[in-house]
Amino acid sequence: MLCDICNKHEATIHIQEIINSQKKAMHLCSECAVDKSQNDPSFDFGGFNLAEMLYNISESQGGIPGLTPMSDEESIDETNKPREAKETNDLKCINCGWTLKALRRTGRVGCPECYNIFREVIENALENMHRGKLHVGKSPGSQNTEKSSNFMLKLMRLQKELDEVIQREEYEKAAKLRDKITALKKKINSPKPKKKNASK
Amino acid sequence: MPLNKIDKLLKHDVSWLVDSGPDGDIAISSRIRLARNIQGLPFPIAATPGQLEQIQSATELALKKSTTVGKDYLDFHMSDYSELDHQILLERRLISSEFVDKGEHTSLFVKQDESCAIMINEEDHLRIQALCPGLQLFKVWEQINKLDLELEKSLPYSYDSQLGYLTSCPTNVGTGMRASVMLHLPGLVLSGKINAAIQGVNKLSMAVRGIFGEGTDNRGNLFQVSNQSTLGESETQIIDRLNTVITQLVMHEKNCRSSLLKNKKYFLLDHVGRSYGILRHAYTLSSEEALNSLSGLRIGVDMGMFNSVDLHTVNKLFLTINPAHLQKFAQKELSSQDRDVFRAAFVRKQLKNAKLSKGE
Repeated sequence: MLCDICNKHEATIHIQEIINSQKKAMHLCSECAVDKSQNDPSFDFGGFNLAEMLYNISESQGGIPGLTPMSDEESIDETNKPREAKETNDLKCINCGWTLKALRRTGRVGCPECYNIFREVIENALENMHRGKLHVGKSPGSQNTEKSSNFMLKLMRLQKELDEVIQREEYEKAAKLRDKITALKKKINSPKPKKKNASK
Repeated sequence: MPLNKIDKLLKHDVSWLVDSGPDGDIAISSRIRLARNIQGLPFPIAATPGQLEQIQSATELALKKSTTVGKDYLDFHMSDYSELDHQILLERRLISSEFVDKGEHTSLFVKQDESCAIMINEEDHLRIQALCPGLQLFKVWEQINKLDLELEKSLPYSYDSQLGYLTSCPTNVGTGMRASVMLHLPGLVLSGKINAAIQGVNKLSMAVRGIFGEGTDNRGNLFQVSNQSTLGESETQIIDRLNTVITQLVMHEKNCRSSLLKNKKYFLLDHVGRSYGILRHAYTLSSEEALNSLSGLRIGVDMGMFNSVDLHTVNKLFLTINPAHLQKFAQKELSSQDRDVFRAAFVRKQLKNAKLSKGE
């Protein structure tokens, strides 16, 4: 059976959605599936949002992992929306505010922390995208990484502080921070830093 | 002044055009792209302007102080440049279409011979790409890995022990690496064997697409083969697999060409001759027709049919017939029809000294 989009390759992904006994089916080759989810996550194939589908697989496999079953009292809900769907779509990243809803809509996450918050959903999607679930390639980190990347982290922290302090119009503090930032930048740029830690 | 940098770039010889690598008439260039992000900050899609600025300055700092990124790099603050300039960079495959007019706090670092380019704040904080002519994936990996190793000393990359390098899109997670080769496959196309070849490649979980982005559009008989998966295999495993697949494809293409030459000689010569005729004598030339004709010309060059037209000429034309390049040369905006006229004139001029080496 050929892919519904390109009509050239063999369809290896078969999607069938049944809602209120209304059936919809879609057949895609792996290339078009990945292509569309990457480049056009909001693309609607006659009712399907592919990104949403790839991330909804956990839901279709029987409930949302991680949620404990509610007691009868608690499960009474005034809204008509299925309770589970409402809760998971409200799932939010504590670091950047990205929601599961946004993930399903765009196919992307907002920050590294999202990978922890939305782990289950993402891992299910990863299975269809990649040849394995575990990274076996190179990793960052030698002794050198520690020192200079600490400087970078510090630099970013100072810059963040500076933004906040300027917003509060505490210009004297801002000036001091600016000096610290300049000094740190000089240290980062110099080939052989002599002192370990001058500032703070 | 901002304007000069794009002109500066255009004046330099582009490595993959000037050199030709192994099997250069079939495998045109090899490319590897790495996606990297800095710890502790959101990806561009969820970052505030303030955070984007932080990312931009941190990465620029790291790049400027690196020894691999030396004085032969040009850097661009994308918002300082016009849309036309962005299009030129896109046509030279130095940036992605997502990066065009992406807004504030996006930067590009490009080596003057265009063998390496780094986008800042595209889909990820850093998108590093390196290129080599021909089929030389391992050489590209050596080069890009060297830069990556150096940058990681001053940029704390976002990394998870299970999922590898963390990226904005889970399709890039793990190695964050997309390796691809640009191929010219007229033999397969003219023999009607391209679809079977593409399906074969797909079965090995490699993606094949026309190089102009959309699906399997095969304008100019040009294709890009790349890995789909970035997780579960090491970088060298991915490259090794891709290299094997490409080597087989190249052989397949060569066989098709010799078979055509043996069994359908005049069909092939006719294809080349007509392509050459159009390029030499047309007065309006759409980019599609130009690309397809250049493909015919390229086969002719490979078969040694021409004097004073070599692969470099063809490769250079392939680049310069694009809309933004033409308008840059014309030094004004051109409507689609005017472009077609200008393109034809440009090509006629470039090929005016061309001669067929075999008798007509």
